[in-house]
Amino acid sequence: MALDRVSFDVRPGRLTGFVGANGAGKTTAMRIIMGVLASDAGTVTLADRPLDLAARRRFGYMPEERGLYPKMRVLDQLVFLGRVHGLTPVLARTRAIELLEELELGDRMTDVLHTLSLGNQQRVQVAAALLHEPELLILDEPFSGLDPIAVDAMAARLRARAEAGVPVLFSSHQLELVERLCDDLVVIHEGRIVARGDAAQLQEEHAGTRIRIVVDGGTDWLSAAPGVTVVSSDPRGTVLELADGADGQSLLLEAQRHGAVREFGRVVPTLSEIFHEVTR
Amino acid sequence: MTTQSPTASAVAADDVTEVSRGSLIRTIASREIWVKLHDKGFIASTIFFLLIIVGATVIPIMISQQSHDYRLAVVGDQATAVVTAATGLHTSASSGDVPKVTLTASSAADRAAAEALLRGGKADAALVADGTSLTLIGKDAVPDDLVILVKAAAAQTDVSRVAAEAGLSSDQVRQLVAPTPPKVDLLNAQPDRAVPPILLVMIFGFLFYFAVLTFGISIAQSVVEEKQSRVVELLVAAVPVRWLLAGKVLGNTVLAVAQVTLIVGVGLAGAALAGQSALISQVAGASVWFLVFFLLGFLMLACLWAVAGSLASRVEDLQSTTLLMQATVMVPFFASIFVTEPGRVQEVLSYIPFTAVLLMPARVINGTAASWEPWVAAGIVLATAALFVVLGARLYEGSVLHTSNRTRLVQAWRSARGGRS
Repeated sequence: MALDRVSFDVRPGRLTGFVGANGAGKTTAMRIIMGVLASDAGTVTLADRPLDLAARRRFGYMPEERGLYPKMRVLDQLVFLGRVHGLTPVLARTRAIELLEELELGDRMTDVLHTLSLGNQQRVQVAAALLHEPELLILDEPFSGLDPIAVDAMAARLRARAEAGVPVLFSSHQLELVERLCDDLVVIHEGRIVARGDAAQLQEEHAGTRIRIVVDGGTDWLSAAPGVTVVSSDPRGTVLELADGADGQSLLLEAQRHGAVREFGRVVPTLSEIFHEVTR
Repeated sequence: MTTQSPTASAVAADDVTEVSRGSLIRTIASREIWVKLHDKGFIASTIFFLLIIVGATVIPIMISQQSHDYRLAVVGDQATAVVTAATGLHTSASSGDVPKVTLTASSAADRAAAEALLRGGKADAALVADGTSLTLIGKDAVPDDLVILVKAAAAQTDVSRVAAEAGLSSDQVRQLVAPTPPKVDLLNAQPDRAVPPILLVMIFGFLFYFAVLTFGISIAQSVVEEKQSRVVELLVAAVPVRWLLAGKVLGNTVLAVAQVTLIVGVGLAGAALAGQSALISQVAGASVWFLVFFLLGFLMLACLWAVAGSLASRVEDLQSTTLLMQATVMVPFFASIFVTEPGRVQEVLSYIPFTAVLLMPARVINGTAASWEPWVAAGIVLATAALFVVLGARLYEGSVLHTSNRTRLVQAWRSARGGRS
């Protein structure tokens, strides 16, 4: 059993990050969405209608292990893939040239694919996914193997698509990147969805009652404060845990009596922290 | 509880309502053709075949029309007379039996001088008269046609001399040295054939064997390349698997038939240029049935080749997954070569789909098939082709998405059934 009752939404205009450890079921779920694998049960719907091939043909897909003809020229195979998705030969060619130039591959159009560097091959793969102006993008690990500059360019590209109203679902295990980019988040663990929803809201939900405090004159007094447990303390500040029912506002007043309060705020967990928490 | 575990999917073809099936299949097919036309190996093998076929039609004709030139060192009047007679033989009535040889004679003083010319490479042979006996001298060997010509000329010279001594008139002498040969008539005459039918069947058999093998392997290769490079994931997300298969088979069939037609056509054109009209009318008639059976036989096996490709997960696996297919191509080829005698065995085999493809056209060429027989055999092959297409499509559906390892036939069959929902 690879997936167990997996259910999540991908919303228009938003970048949805699909996070999970290796073997958690990200690729399987994406293949089922694309119809490359059939599920034993359950449905994939688009705007409440079950997905059929006609709808999937309007999706853009980037498979995990990539998928292009190694011995075919870059432009030729994009034109072919465009025609497979129903573009006319002329339109397929125009769009392919536009995209390749946008991706800075204008001078490599007549090169055979396998002579390109892996990063450039990945760009061609992106072009293949975008060629037919898809209504939805399903990208399996689009950032893997890219250098930091290419990562930024790819991120900007995905952001632009999302802002144009195209729902984008991409998988990654680079958590910092997902945190920086995503509007929505889906966390999968051992075939089950363990967290999903608005990324900021998720962080809020997992924030708990931890507070970071920086006060001129030190925080030694905190150990005596009622309902307070000090979690950590370093030059950047002290993190404390408020007990249930303890009043944060009275703690702030108390802090002001000990000195000028430079920082007093809830600690929002990083995606990485949330991930470790929900997959524990 | 609803559990989900992956099985290969087969996208139902009727899902795609607004997409034109024809244009999708054409797109897939034209990529196959495009790739093959840019394949140096394919171009080279086509050119190689064209050269062979041109060589096979033109060279024998050139050889049969070729005449040899010999330089002959001649010693003595008797020898000179024989050479003169030899030159005259070509114009006489029985010239058909005389080798086409042009002689250039040069006199030598004696045998030693003639041998010197021979050793120095200034003469190809020497004809030395010593009294009434003649000696034909060669360096390493004397060409056969020269020996035949000189023998005939010497005999004629002897007969003329003796006849003249006996006082015969010049007409009588001519009658004596150039008798009118008898005409040959056959009660059970066969139509005149420029090429032995067995040779024709062998050439067609080899063409079939070669074309089905190369294009079959090319289909299998194209399938496994898409699996190995995972392009197949992009394709099945957009195209029903069966259409994908149809496009591949269509593209390769078009090319295979075009290649074979080109080779046969160039062969016929070469024969036409060489003035072999008898050969053309004989081969052209046989070619039509051969091409019809070639097309049907190719279609019959094409989908199975695709299955052989989709059972493999890497190009390296092809060797083992296509083994069975290679055998199904070899059987009709060897049958066509070994079962050459008209009879029961050939008749039966000419109706069995695999061997019918070659043996029915062979029987047409031999003239041992009634006019309705090729039609019936064609119908049988067509029905088998339809069955194999359905079978092949299902196995292809069941195996083309198993990219991780080699797929077994049973597994492919079950996957296709499970995936169709």
